[in-house]
Amino acid sequence: MQTQTVKTRKGEWEARLADIKYTLYLMKKNPLVMTGTIIALFFIILAFLANFIVDPKLAYPEGYPNNMYPFERKYMWNANHFINWGPGIALYNGPEFFYLGTDGWGRDLLKMIILAIPVDLYNAAIIVIGAVIFGTLLGAIAGYIGGIFDELILRITDVFFAFPGLVLALVFAAMFGRTLDTLRLAVMLVWWPPYVRLMRGQVLSEKQKPYVEALKALGASGPRILLRHVIPNAIYPILVQATMDFGGAILTFSALMFLGFSPSPALPELGNLCADGYGHIFDAPWVILFPGLTMLIISLAFNLVGDGLRDVLDPRLRR
Amino acid sequence: MNSEKNTEKTILEIRNLKVNFHTYRGEVKALNGVDLKLYRGEVLALVGESGCGKSVTVQTVIGLLPENASVVDGEIIFLGENLLEKSKEEMRSLRANELAIVFQDPMTYLNPVLTIGTQLEEVFALHKNMVKEAALMEKTGKNFKFTEFIGKKNSGSMLVDAKVSRNEIKRAIKKLCVDILKLVKLPDPERILKQYPFELSGGMRQRAMIAMALARRPSIFIADEITTALDVTIQAQILYLLKELKDKISASILIITHDLSVAAEISDRIAVMYGGNVVEVASTRNLFRKPLHPYTQMLLKAIPIITKPKERLESIPGTVPEMINPPTGCRFHPRCKYAMEICTQKRPKLKEVEKGHEVACHLY
Amino acid sequence: MFVLLAVSAIVFYLCRGFPSGIAPWTPYIHSKMTEEQIQEVIKTHGFDRPLWEQYFYWLRDILNGDWGLTGAWAQGKPANEVFFHHFPYTVELAVFGTILTIIIGIPLGIISAIKNNKLPDHVSRVIALAGYSTPSYWFGFVLQLIFFYYFSVWGLPYLPSSGASDLGSANLTGIPILDGLLTGNFAYSWDEFCHLILPSFSLSFISLGFLARIVRASMLEVLRQDYITMARSKGLKERVVIYRHALKNALIPAVTLTGIFFANLLGGAMITEYVFSWPGVGQQALRAVFQGDSNFLLVYSLVFAVIIVLANLVVDVLYAFLDPRIKY
Repeated sequence: MQTQTVKTRKGEWEARLADIKYTLYLMKKNPLVMTGTIIALFFIILAFLANFIVDPKLAYPEGYPNNMYPFERKYMWNANHFINWGPGIALYNGPEFFYLGTDGWGRDLLKMIILAIPVDLYNAAIIVIGAVIFGTLLGAIAGYIGGIFDELILRITDVFFAFPGLVLALVFAAMFGRTLDTLRLAVMLVWWPPYVRLMRGQVLSEKQKPYVEALKALGASGPRILLRHVIPNAIYPILVQATMDFGGAILTFSALMFLGFSPSPALPELGNLCADGYGHIFDAPWVILFPGLTMLIISLAFNLVGDGLRDVLDPRLRR
Repeated sequence: MNSEKNTEKTILEIRNLKVNFHTYRGEVKALNGVDLKLYRGEVLALVGESGCGKSVTVQTVIGLLPENASVVDGEIIFLGENLLEKSKEEMRSLRANELAIVFQDPMTYLNPVLTIGTQLEEVFALHKNMVKEAALMEKTGKNFKFTEFIGKKNSGSMLVDAKVSRNEIKRAIKKLCVDILKLVKLPDPERILKQYPFELSGGMRQRAMIAMALARRPSIFIADEITTALDVTIQAQILYLLKELKDKISASILIITHDLSVAAEISDRIAVMYGGNVVEVASTRNLFRKPLHPYTQMLLKAIPIITKPKERLESIPGTVPEMINPPTGCRFHPRCKYAMEICTQKRPKLKEVEKGHEVACHLY
Repeated sequence: MFVLLAVSAIVFYLCRGFPSGIAPWTPYIHSKMTEEQIQEVIKTHGFDRPLWEQYFYWLRDILNGDWGLTGAWAQGKPANEVFFHHFPYTVELAVFGTILTIIIGIPLGIISAIKNNKLPDHVSRVIALAGYSTPSYWFGFVLQLIFFYYFSVWGLPYLPSSGASDLGSANLTGIPILDGLLTGNFAYSWDEFCHLILPSFSLSFISLGFLARIVRASMLEVLRQDYITMARSKGLKERVVIYRHALKNALIPAVTLTGIFFANLLGGAMITEYVFSWPGVGQQALRAVFQGDSNFLLVYSLVFAVIIVLANLVVDVLYAFLDPRIKY
């Protein structure tokens, strides 16, 4: 994909810019990727604006944790709403109109979802970034230095691979308590092994390429070669994987919440909202339906982008 | 060109073929008006440097251009019909019966997970009449060889109603396979049929590919750089094989190569291509004795001759033209020492200068 | 071997070593015991010893076949018994889930590759990615909602939403469907099967996206190869080209992936089992985590690690078997 010559500083940037332009061109040709990007951007912007659109204090009604909303507001659906859920649901005839009904605390579900988006996106971002940095560094070291480091890192990664995914995160979370930080760490623990393997493979194949030897002959030191030349060339599949993992991280993170690990039961977070509705799937289906749907759309958007990016960056398909 | 008169003699005629490739960087004008005639029963070599459009020409003939290519102009007349107007299905049928092609690199062109036998059998399976006839001959105890079937295209139509069991058909196919492998001089054919491509050597694989092409009893046999991926000694063997087969099979052979010596070895006529055009066509003798086009002349000068060790090797100045913005007029003019004003403006067409010797150059 | 030890060490440490709300000796006591009795229990099982000593004791115990007790508050059954009682259910789920994934995922990938960048490709890619992006618990609920609840509301025949089966039967292999078939109790088998449909579908929906992607990618790769051009030049029908030439090459990575995927499923898809109240090991593992039941978790992790290692081996062998180029 890129020429394997040693690049000067200026030439380097020009080459990269041309590459990026070509990438964008290819992306535009693919309708799926464009849709995904638009949706993803929409949600990202929404995440930033969310706390301004909706008053965050609405998440914690007055007198929380003793919920002070009248009983009639829990799990309610407007009687005059255009969606009819069938028998068995409680209808609300009061003054307010809830587009998506109310949840177990009587909060407006739509507003809660909006509030939850930044929480999820933010946490997912941290998880992915953490996992990527940690994993790729380890993988790069393993691949580049080789020898005993390689063996060691590989073994450790294998151990983590052998774990049934969620169990590790769950046990970790259970042991360390329920703060957001521990939860993030827990998910990161599960997510980093793939990056080690990916990066290691990339570095190994880059190592074979002639420009590395050329650099060594010029007298460049090991870490310098690694950081300034090898990693930038190897990083594209990592980017692809990270984009797709973003969606996956949201899912895993909210799954933990759903199983009951959230720091506070009223925290506006998509998984948490679903948990709220777990006991009421048949008489208040919207409580699970809509937060889950939101998660689906967000995750789908990022996956579309990542998937399209993977196609676009495939070196054999270019030109 | 008096195509009417030459119809019996000419089996394939390409007229003014123009093919473009659409890429991100622009339109690659790969073929710029190719004119070519292939006569019945002859061996024609298509010679030129890499990138001059030889492979693209044959790809167009057999109808297997890549997706981003489009034929912009021209005709390909085969047996009186224009191949470019045919449907995909018709072309497929033609490929199965009339047009056979052998490719350059037998390693990548053979399916690694299927045995040689499977890949050969499937070619025969498309020729139901021949197989049936073979099975019948087997059944009645008559011995047959594959070579008997060459040239007998429609003889099997009377036998459509004859009943042959599946086993008999299988055995007939197997015998045909063994036969044809013997024809291409492969030792121990029964064993080879069961082997996978990676178990054979390069030369053997190439012979197997040739067998797969012959099995179709084609009217036109195309060899696309088949010796390029082989060692020189194996090259010689394959060429020798082709020479032998040339007499046995009643097909016209079109050989593509960038190596003039290969062309000289085996062909009756040679056509030289450059930059998407055919620039000279002549019989082998005449081309070597009296090359007319400047490009041909320089090509011949660039070949070292062992008997004259003291002559300097001349190379052709300049590089192969870039096909997105090719030179105007005659595409060779930037490198031609005889270039004139008109050469930059008008593309010269193939003209018969002597009997059987055509050139595309403004010098004539 | 190292992997197994490491896995067990980590789990052990996490379960017993860390200060957490739930005491590691809960499986051995019940609420009616006095403080003294609890202390006694602690002493007998060595919970007051330093951690690494505990680990050695545990190792010794399992090598003797004693996996320790599990279950909260002195339900006290041996952990491995509980595990293997629930395991067949997970196996059932895993098998069906994998079958469904293969049936839907592979054709989806093939279509995507053949009609690359045209409408069928886009549609199937969206489906595949949607599967990959759905939260597993959410999808389970939606299925339950539609097929169980609303179908009954709308008067359509509905599928049961939870549990494994309402009937009982003799316990031969422990795998309910097989048991039913073997004892001639077809009603039981059928009932089990009905219960199986929704959870398997929920499981497979999420993974078929992944499989379809892999199949698509490898098909695209294969279709670009020279030997495909060769096959076409022989005049073979396009269908033959795809099925005989392309597919065999393209499916090799897909097969290996399926193998690993199946092994993962054997670990129990915890969330799906939870949502559907399916009595598999995943469900038990969940319970164990919440109860701080280290013994069960240890059994679970070890078995799972073994399965994964085995699966990797099997997949490697399979690879060699399918691709004639690889020899051992």
